[in-house]
Amino acid sequence: MATLARAALLLIAGAVLGLLANPLTPHPAPLGKPVVPAAELPGAACQDPGASIARISVQEAKPLCVACAAAFVDARSAEEYAAGHITGAVHLGPGEPPDPLLPALRAAAMVIVYDRDRDCAAANRIAAQLQNLGLRDVRVLTGAWPEWMAKGGPGESGSCTVCTASSR
Amino acid sequence: MRAAVLLACRIALGALFVWAAVTKLPDMAAFAQDVANYRAVPALLVPVVAAAVVGIELLAGLALLAGVTTRAAASVVAALLAVFIVFLAQALLRGIDLRCGCFGGDEPASWWTVARDVLMLAAALAVARAPARRAQPDPLTTSA
Repeated sequence: MATLARAALLLIAGAVLGLLANPLTPHPAPLGKPVVPAAELPGAACQDPGASIARISVQEAKPLCVACAAAFVDARSAEEYAAGHITGAVHLGPGEPPDPLLPALRAAAMVIVYDRDRDCAAANRIAAQLQNLGLRDVRVLTGAWPEWMAKGGPGESGSCTVCTASSR
Repeated sequence: MRAAVLLACRIALGALFVWAAVTKLPDMAAFAQDVANYRAVPALLVPVVAAAVVGIELLAGLALLAGVTTRAAASVVAALLAVFIVFLAQALLRGIDLRCGCFGGDEPASWWTVARDVLMLAAALAVARAPARRAQPDPLTTSA
């Protein structure tokens, strides 16, 4: 019993010591402020410095979407695409043939692929496939669909109304 | 012989916990981020937990090294290690890729880290359950 009491005292004293010493350290833990997992920080999704496919941020991609200066490819499921996607984006899920979309995509100066996952695995696969088919400037959107929505990027739902070559 | 093993466990655990705390002190914010990455603590509590853990590690480690309230300190270390093991295992089982945050570096969390903590937990439990010092003199203090 005495050991338990001493252990409890040690725990409390240690915690108080840590909290008091924290502000004296060179880089203190930000007491009172929430610290979220690194993967949930804005723009963290799909940030992979070693990725073979170039990245583009939501901030950079938004004006290109508004100006129809880039083609957007949605690599999520057809259901997710129908529920809502980046304005003008075409749907191309993993395993689907890209051929019908190629003429429109080739006409774009840049093709931006996105999905919803933190590692952007589907977007990476589709982007690599498009690159292999000869598209020159293919990027993956960092932050993916969740960040596009969070930052108020233009979105729409329902069937596709693409930025066609004539609208660019 | 048993006393010597327990003494070695106590000193090794104490040194490891002091070292673990000291390596975190230069960048407590980074340790808080490591804690957050386990996704097991509410975001607002993460900095408090991170600061408290470092203080507890330091104090318990020093107590073990000094041989002061040894059983209580070993119990605290055992409790900490049990929590670390649960945090590590849940992160690994959920496929979360993260640094373990154990000694302030970039060491990734892995099942090896869990095994190491289990080994340390066994040592801490052995020290915590050892007879009181009155019945088992500390060779360091009695040999002189």
